[in-house]
Amino acid sequence: MKTFFSFIKKEFRHIFRDRRTILIVLVMPVVQIILFGFAVSTEVHNARVDIVGDGNDPAVRQIVERIDQNPYLNVEAVYESVAKVPERFRRGEADVAVCFERNFDERLHHYGKASVRLLGDGSDPNTAQMIVNYVNGVLSDVQGELGAQSDSPQGAFPHVQYMYNPAVRSSYNFVPGVMGLILMLVCSMMTAISIVREKESGTMELLLVSPIRPIGVIISKAIPYLALSLVNLVTILLLARFVLGVPLRGSLLLLSVVSVLFILASLGIGLLISVISSTQKTALLISGMGLTMPTMIFSGIIFPCESMPVVLQYVSDIIPAKWYIIMVKKVMIEGVGFGYIYQEFTILLLMTLFLLAVSVRLFKRRL
Amino acid sequence: MNPNTDIIVVDELTKKFGDFTAVDHISFRVHRGEIFGFLGANGAGKTTAMKILCGLSRPSSGGGTVNGYDLNRDQEKIKRHIGYMSQKFSLYADLKVWENIRLFGGIYGLSGKRIREKSDAMLHYLNMTDLRDELVGDLPLGWKQKLAFSIALIHDPAIVFLDEPTGGVDPETRRLFWDLICEAAEGGTTIFVTTHYMDEAEYCDRVSIMVDGVIADLDTPAALKQRYGATDMDAVFRQLAYRAQRE
Amino acid sequence: MVMLYLLEKEFKQFFRDSGLPKMAIAFPVLMMLVFPFAVSMEIRNINLVVVDNNRTVASSNLIETCTASGYFDLVGVSDDPDWAMRQMDRNKADAILTIESDFDRSLERGEPLPVAIKVNTINGTKGSIGSGYLTSCVQRFYAEHAPARQSATTGAQLDVSPKYYFNTYLDYKMFMVPALIVIAITMLTGFFPALNIVSEKERGTIEQINVTPVNRGVFILCKLIPYWLVAFFVLTACLLIARWVFDYSCAGSIGLMYFFTAGNILVTAGMGLLISNYSDNAQQAMFVTWFFMMVFMLVSGIFTPIASMPGWAQAITYLNPMRYYADAMRGIYIKGSTLADVWTDAAGLLTIGTVMVSWAILSYKKTT
Repeated sequence: MKTFFSFIKKEFRHIFRDRRTILIVLVMPVVQIILFGFAVSTEVHNARVDIVGDGNDPAVRQIVERIDQNPYLNVEAVYESVAKVPERFRRGEADVAVCFERNFDERLHHYGKASVRLLGDGSDPNTAQMIVNYVNGVLSDVQGELGAQSDSPQGAFPHVQYMYNPAVRSSYNFVPGVMGLILMLVCSMMTAISIVREKESGTMELLLVSPIRPIGVIISKAIPYLALSLVNLVTILLLARFVLGVPLRGSLLLLSVVSVLFILASLGIGLLISVISSTQKTALLISGMGLTMPTMIFSGIIFPCESMPVVLQYVSDIIPAKWYIIMVKKVMIEGVGFGYIYQEFTILLLMTLFLLAVSVRLFKRRL
Repeated sequence: MNPNTDIIVVDELTKKFGDFTAVDHISFRVHRGEIFGFLGANGAGKTTAMKILCGLSRPSSGGGTVNGYDLNRDQEKIKRHIGYMSQKFSLYADLKVWENIRLFGGIYGLSGKRIREKSDAMLHYLNMTDLRDELVGDLPLGWKQKLAFSIALIHDPAIVFLDEPTGGVDPETRRLFWDLICEAAEGGTTIFVTTHYMDEAEYCDRVSIMVDGVIADLDTPAALKQRYGATDMDAVFRQLAYRAQRE
Repeated sequence: MVMLYLLEKEFKQFFRDSGLPKMAIAFPVLMMLVFPFAVSMEIRNINLVVVDNNRTVASSNLIETCTASGYFDLVGVSDDPDWAMRQMDRNKADAILTIESDFDRSLERGEPLPVAIKVNTINGTKGSIGSGYLTSCVQRFYAEHAPARQSATTGAQLDVSPKYYFNTYLDYKMFMVPALIVIAITMLTGFFPALNIVSEKERGTIEQINVTPVNRGVFILCKLIPYWLVAFFVLTACLLIARWVFDYSCAGSIGLMYFFTAGNILVTAGMGLLISNYSDNAQQAMFVTWFFMMVFMLVSGIFTPIASMPGWAQAITYLNPMRYYADAMRGIYIKGSTLADVWTDAAGLLTIGTVMVSWAILSYKKTT
């Protein structure tokens, strides 16, 4: 036991001697959470609207005014020719163009029907769709005023209630995601590198001929990183709660348990990487590139897993971060108890055990 | 003194790292064509001093010249006229033998034809012709060091700096290595070598011994042995190093 | 002249490395063949739970209309709102449609429909788009089933029709393909150079170079050039895959895409070299590179629009080279933008690139 503790002390000394790395590891999550929490958002404000048509037409002017009053829409320019629209899009100067037909006012009031064309910049499909929906909303209000009894009365607008995140803030979605990403990367990358470095420099053999068992070597390597990750976890949670205003509705204890489990899973991955790579460079590239992209893409941080093809949904199922992020969202934001996450918890637990078992086994065999 | 006979002139050279004075106002001269041994315990400041002489590091105060170029101003000019081989083996392990020769030949501006001639002669001289297509990383340490030394001489420098060139090799290989050094010196190249093998100090024309950042003594091995009443250089060194305050 | 020898060295080292060439090939292929399918934000398969308190032909017609739209997977129909809420808590339901008991009568009388929708908006995009779909299903249902009215005579009517340029069917893959190219190139050419100088430092070979009279600018430049070729190779491979697999082609000038890629390498490789100049070991270099890559990527407009960011964050993005690169590559590929359209991107990218490379050269000291 005494040797074991002296090993842990040695690892801590290694880490704290490299002040710069410590600084990077501790400060990086803070910057990322703040930046992403505030900046990464899919809400569309200030969409730029171009008006194509006769700016002096009374009905057109009335509608343009309504569009400009909408807090999400800004009218940028009014011009006559539809041919100018693609050019404006290409330069990135407008997001949507509202085209009124000729003699709009006259047609509307004398013939009872006038057409409006909404031209969206389809190069960004979701944003285009949202903006077109906003403009559509303004137009149906106008429609409602034009004829008290028109085709789409109030009756067809169901009452919509947004659950858990009534203000539809993107940070509710991104904070758990970034939490998962950072914990995963820091843990697995640092563990992998610390082990490979000893392998490369040959000091690993020195450790292994010592009376301590291989499993002890691994644990003593992992404990400092576990500690560092816990510090990261606490900073992230504090920032999320007090700076970003993301609620913490569920039990803090449950959240901590889940996080520690995930940190263990990440350590397992790190260990696995360290076993299969022979040089620091390989370990770094695998953890830095090979882990970042799949985790970002498949864990549902940005892209909902439900909209992936079935095969890729299976792929996403093997990403531990996915399960962690689901649980964090549930516990933090929905505020549910363990009964609602036991499935995800079991999956992550099994993954962690599997990862640790396989890597410890391989570790013993390779050395 | 005639500058033509002294290839290195160092005057009150000092290097400080924060509060720590690694090299403390040292002054000495190295004659053209001699083998100059630069001895000292680990941490005595010899590697720091050598880095300044090679233009890798700037002096904190004091100065001097190497081959007539100023240590404070003309580092890049100095580099054109020196060869260097460090204790940490530093050829490219992932390049082949001939590729390393070609690279450094090219860096020093030798023509393609000259590089080919040089490398054939060098490989022949080192008995390494069969190894020209081996990766340098795969060679035994002794071979690597012989190669590194020869490459340090590829541009016929006026002086070559060797930083513990024989670290970690067996006595037989060390002896062969010193044969190479002596032959190079006979060819007119000045050799500036640090070592902590005291038997190697006997090969040197003159030896300086650094203790705690200052030069404790400088003379021929014979004169030193006589001065300290010792039978070998090891005893001389131990007497001087005994005065050291710092580890 | 010296440059040729140094270039030869860099290339040999690159190809002799066990991982780098493989990674340079595998990474873009993976990015282009797998990720486009995964990075879909088209919201489909929304899990729907219906609380039907009406249980009439009319209410089942409404449910039918919703499921027929193709956007929803019906998880279950019940008359217990608590059960439905539990489904949402368990993540089994993304949206709940509640139909009240007087639904059929209201429909007949043409009154407002007693229908309510609850959506999970933790993922805001998914929630709001999902509720939009559901609302439009209800509206469509109302239009088809409500008693006919003489609408044309009672008031003027706006005939609104949307149309989308460049990407008529709002294909999200098309949106992401150029972005994935940007990510692949930036990551490869950011991480490799970062490891390059640092590994020369760790091995000690950099010292051997520093005692030679080689010019530091030349030395750094020779380290950059191989990454140019890697980037061009990756770009070519990605464009070909996009062509063969997805049948997409570049709407604008391909030459212009290469031009921007060349500019981007100045930035990424310059930055990688800069970081490795300032790092003591590979671990540090890697962490810092990873940090910047993540920041660059997430606030570049690739995944979420820059216009959605708060003002201060938008201001910061002007320092983000990836913003310019991604914006230009998307513009050229999807909209066919010309240099005249995206010259601001070119200016931004080249400015940052020049600063990075000059800084990398200046901070690389042969004499300390």
